Formats: sequence, structure tokens, C-alpha cells
Amino acid sequence: MKNNKMCAILGNEHEYTELLPLTKRRALATLYFDCKYRIMDFALSSIVNANIRNIFLVVNQAKLKSYFDHLGGGREWGLDSIGSYRYINFSQDLVRQKVEGQKYFDDVIDYLEKSRSTYTVFVGNKMLNSVDLKAVLKIHKAQKNDMTVVFKRMPKDKIASDDQILEIDDQTNRVKGNHNFSEYPHNSDIYNLSMNIFIIETQNLINQLRKGQRIGASANLEDFFLSLISRLNCGTYEYTGYMCNIFDVKSYYDANMDMLNVDHMNSLLYSSQHIITRTKNEVATHFTKTSDVKNSQFATGCVVEGYVRNSLVSRRTFISENSKVEDSIIMSNARIGKDVEIKYAILDKDVVVKSGVKIIGTPGNPVVIEKKMKVTSDVIQDTPREDVED
Amino acid sequence: MKNEMLGVILAGGKGTRLGKLTHNQAKPAVPFGGRYRIIDFTLSNCVNSGVKNIGVITQYQPLNLNAHIGNGASWGLDDLNAGVTILQPYSNNEGSKWFEGTAHAIYQNIGYIDQMDPEYILILSGDHIYKMDYEAMLDQHKETGASLTVAVIDVPWDEASRFGIMNTDDNNRIIDFEEKPAEPKSNHASMGIYIFNWKRLREVLVNSFTRNQDMVDFGKNVIPYYLKSGESVFAYNFKGYWKDVGTIDSLWHANMEFLDENNELNLQDRTWRIYSRNPIAPPQIIAETAEIKDAMIVDGSYIAGKVDHSILSANVRIQTGSVVTDSVIMPGAKIGKNVTIHRAIIGEGAVIGDDVVIDGTDEIAVIGNKEVVGVTSHEE
Repeated sequence: MKNNKMCAILGNEHEYTELLPLTKRRALATLYFDCKYRIMDFALSSIVNANIRNIFLVVNQAKLKSYFDHLGGGREWGLDSIGSYRYINFSQDLVRQKVEGQKYFDDVIDYLEKSRSTYTVFVGNKMLNSVDLKAVLKIHKAQKNDMTVVFKRMPKDKIASDDQILEIDDQTNRVKGNHNFSEYPHNSDIYNLSMNIFIIETQNLINQLRKGQRIGASANLEDFFLSLISRLNCGTYEYTGYMCNIFDVKSYYDANMDMLNVDHMNSLLYSSQHIITRTKNEVATHFTKTSDVKNSQFATGCVVEGYVRNSLVSRRTFISENSKVEDSIIMSNARIGKDVEIKYAILDKDVVVKSGVKIIGTPGNPVVIEKKMKVTSDVIQDTPREDVED
Repeated sequence: MKNEMLGVILAGGKGTRLGKLTHNQAKPAVPFGGRYRIIDFTLSNCVNSGVKNIGVITQYQPLNLNAHIGNGASWGLDDLNAGVTILQPYSNNEGSKWFEGTAHAIYQNIGYIDQMDPEYILILSGDHIYKMDYEAMLDQHKETGASLTVAVIDVPWDEASRFGIMNTDDNNRIIDFEEKPAEPKSNHASMGIYIFNWKRLREVLVNSFTRNQDMVDFGKNVIPYYLKSGESVFAYNFKGYWKDVGTIDSLWHANMEFLDENNELNLQDRTWRIYSRNPIAPPQIIAETAEIKDAMIVDGSYIAGKVDHSILSANVRIQTGSVVTDSVIMPGAKIGKNVTIHRAIIGEGAVIGDDVVIDGTDEIAVIGNKEVVGVTSHEE
């Protein structure tokens, strides 16, 4: 079937303690983004928009529920149709098999063989973008390299210490070397950040995986692909669209707030790639006579009686009269009482804020209110995050 | 497979009185309340009542309706032992079979109904806005041992002459039926919702049509026939919000009622959800220049103008300087700059150019689906 020309591996292995408590019970990939989306929607949409229906999902065992809550049967992504195939594996299982001395890549190899695909694309979990994988494949074929890695030129402050920086040969466009950002000289403003998207011929990948498990390569698939960069001829594809790299609370907050910028939003959500997410049935959002709303975005099912500025509000949130929400991210089903003030804050799902309470952070250090918290007294956070003891 | 009760939704009507809004689609496909199409209420009521096998009879301009219903997944009708089937006119050796009336449409689809093999058949119309538990109606139907149960709602006496009126005895048995009586004897109006014992209805339809007896319409023919032939016919009293949105005026009014914070429909209530086919669209954007009061807005919309007491559907755009009051904007409508819209319904995908004034002060103004009014500027 034509569908199977490319198959995909979606790696959800990246986690950051700097994102806690947002990722306490959910994987980074299933964090909410811009009122309606989850981070994995972007990678998954790129994959299915490239007509890929064979997906190998590497998930975090401890946070399995958050994936299934979101993916369901995969209907929205066309992943419940005939010819589509999803294979789910736990990242911990690969590591365990390696420790036990088993052939830990055999499940991946089995999947790749069954997919009958010519090419395999690997997509990591934390960089939000709307890359066109069909275009990447075209470049990969034209350049005739063993593997192609997608990168973007990014400023220093948008790069995490464990991100990979690529050294690219100007003549051949091939990668000369790759380095952990923490081990790389920080002497420039812009770096070639690997987006951890790779395309490789499936048969070659199978060979590499077989060799890898013989010599004890990393059981972390993302690391394994990164290790291939130096072992193979690795070409590059530069992504020029909008991208956000999520690795701590601040980068998560900034990425969301970027959506209030029309250019960024258009680039990410109104590009030729249609970003698919799970649909829910909610009534229209109701702005009452007392509401006062500007420069904000809303999902459906909300009732807004209060004042909202520069904020993103998810489904089924209730913002009562005389309350002020500014520069904040409100995840779904929040209940915000009267005379509340919320500024520079992230409210996780199902948070209840009692009337009269103030929740105030700073742009550099937004307050995070954990899922299902009932906030009954003021939370004022003006100290920089580094000074806060856990 | 055996089904206790099969739902059949009559969705073939043209809805002439909705004018331009049904120019290219059937009435049940007309958008409502920002997020829904009219038929969603009936479909969701079915699913919530445990009626999970549904036939939808279509005839007039069915394309949008069929696309909306699809395989029924949006209502959970793609479940095991569930399903929604579009029933459209077809031809056979005896010629083509356009549906000539509500009962005739059922007669023409006997093949489908027999295949579903239900004990009871629930006849519904796809053009009312309401929430109703059909299971409770079935329970009463079984309790009374009725051959036919008709759902009725008490309407204001001065309006009763616009409806089919059921006169009942003390046991709630229907003893007399009058279509739009000049001097109504009761105010129990038929809601066009019937539960029949299928075996008996089948006999009546087959006998009548094979003998060329007029049995084309439920209201005009079947119910009077049932009463005359001594069948046990009961009324089921429904209390709650119920609105026929068959005219521009009633459609506009129903939308405005929906906008009321304390509206009786209460769709925030998650115990009886109304489902719809939802396009996947980004969140709604309320821009810096927007002024929004008393409005309902859904996904994919971009609002830079002023909106007061209005309902906006998915993917609507309202540019700066425009003022929309007391209006309903249907999906995908694009409204330019400095436009004034008052007491209007703007059809799906309509384009309103800059500086246009649409004023429905005297009579609700209607802009048709995909209609272009005025000159549009090229910038988005």
C-alpha cells in the first residue's frame, strides 16, 4: 500500500524535572498547549499529514494514562482505519531488556520489518513545529545521504543544556559533528539546534539497530539516532517555520504566550499542515454582559464573566465576575471565584480558586498551580525560580 | 440483530420557510447555537436515551446533512451494535420512489426496518431544539400497553390553533385529534414524536398502500386511522424546552433564547450532552481591538470588532470597526471592516465586504449561504 512508504517512530523519551509539577502525572508529550492542543499533536500531525499510518510509539510507562486519555482510538488522526498500525512500547522496557542482556531492539526491528516501508522517520517529543515530512523526505532522496536530520537556527536562550547542536559543513550540507549544548562553547548567539527528527532508509535502520544491540548502544532511541549522526553520512534539512523548544516552566510559558503573536500562531497553526487534536463536544464559550476580554484565546465550554487580558484559557473554565486574569495560562475546567486576581500564572487542570484570592508570579517566573488544587489563600511569587527550595 | 426500539429521523423536508438558509441544504443541517446543527439535538437525544440504531430519512439537498452525519462517530454511533443509516429515495422495478409524506417514507423503507427487526419504532423529526429522554416515553408506552404513543407538549392556549392538538381523556388516552383547530379543545400539541409497535404499523402501512388507501402522512392519515380503528393511542406529556425552528423568526428567537445565561436547555449540563461533528480548529482569538459582551463564540474564530448579544459559529472572522448586535453568524462567515450587522442571520461561508450595513430592525435580515455582499478588501 502507498501509505506505507514511510513509517514513523515517535519517541517520547525526553523528560525534564524543570517542568515539574506540570509533568508530575503526565508525560511532556501530553502537556497542554494553546488551549486545545497537547504537545504530541504537532509531531503526530506532521506524521499523519505525510500519509504515514504506521507508528511506533515509545511511551513512558509511568504516564501511560495521559497518552491514552488523549489518543483514544486514534480516530481524529486517521489511525483507526484499515492499513493503519500502532505499536506501543515502554521506554523503560527497552532499558530493562538491555540490562537483562536481551536483544532490546528486536521489537523495533520487528515493527520496521512488518511496516514494509522504504523509509523510517523518527520524531522526538518536545519541539513544537509543523514540519512537512514529505518535503524532508524529498530532500533526503535528492541529497542521497544515509540519514537526514532536521534542524533550526535557534537563539541561545531557547536551547536546553541537553539539546544537540549540529556542526554543518557549508559545502556538503552534511553534519560534521554533534555536541551536547552544555559541552559546546557558548560563543555565538545562534546555534544549529537538532530538532531530533531523522529520516533514514528502513533497511539501513534495521541493520544499524542489529549492530547497535550487539555493541550495547543506548536503549534510548533518540540517543541512538543521535549516535548514528557520526557513524553515517548525515545530511541536513533546515526548518524555517516557527518552533518552540520546551524544557522548563519558563520555556513552556513563553511558548504558549507566543501564540498570542499572530505571526507565530499563523506559522504553527495555520500553515499548510493541519494540526489535529482530539475533538470534544463542548457548548460555545459564553462571554456574559460583564465580561471584558482582549488579546486572548479561548477553547469552548467556558463561561467568562470577568476581565481577561493576554491569556490562554482552555475548555470549560469559569471566570467569575470582577475577577482579573492577565498574562496567564488556564488549563481546562478551572473554577475561578469572584474578585480573584491572577497574573503571570499557569493553572493546571481542575483548579479551584476561592473568591478574593490573588495568584501572582513574574514574567520570568510564573506561578504554577498544580492539578486539582484548591487555592484558598494568596500565592505571590516574586523570587526568581533558582532561589525556591523544593 | 434484534433491536428493541429503532429510531427513524425524518430529515427530508425542505424547510421552505427558512428561505435562503435552506437553499442548498436540508433544514436539519442548518447550524444552531454556534456549535451545532439542528439535527444534533435529536441525534444526541437518541444516543442519550439508549436508542443507538437510527435511520435518517433524507430527500431534499442531503449533501451537507450526509456529510455531517458521516458514520455517526461524532455521536458514538460507530459503536458495536449501533449504527446510523442514511435512507434516501431509490428506484426499483416499480419505478422511482420519491417520498410523498412522512408515513410514505417509512413505508418505502420497510426493507431497512425489517432488517433491524425492532419491537418498537420511534419516529422523530430532525428540526426541533429540545432535550428529551425517549426511554422514559418508551417505558410509558410499555406500561400503558399502547399501540401508539404520541409525545405532546402544552402550548399557550392562544397558540394552540397552530398545532396538531390531541384531546385526551382522564387516563391520558388520545380520543380525538385535530390538525390546527380554529377552536382548540385542549392545548396538548403533538411534537411529531411517535412510538409505534412496529408489527402493527407495518400491517397498517402495507395494507393501505397495497389498497391505494391514503396513508401518506402520520398527522393527516395514520393517527386519525389509528383512532378510528380503535387502536390504543396514548399521549406522553413532555415538559421542558421545545422549539420548532422552522421559520427565520423562530430560528433567530431560539438562538437568542440560547444566549440567555439561564436558558432552559442548559447545555453546560454534562449528564445530557449534545454532541456534534466538530471540525478541528485552533482556539478562538479575541484580538486587542475586540469588544465582546453577551456573546457565544467557538473555535477557529477571529474577533477584532465589537460583538454584542450574538452567537458566532466556528471559523467566523470579524474585522476591526465592525459591530455585530442581536445576530447569528453561521460557520465560516467572513465579515470585513466597519460593517454594521443588527438583528440578522448571516449564512454559512457568507462574505460581507467593508462598510456594509445589514439592518434587520423591522424584519430579521438574512444573508444566504456563501452569499457575497459588498466589496471585500484583499487583506485578510
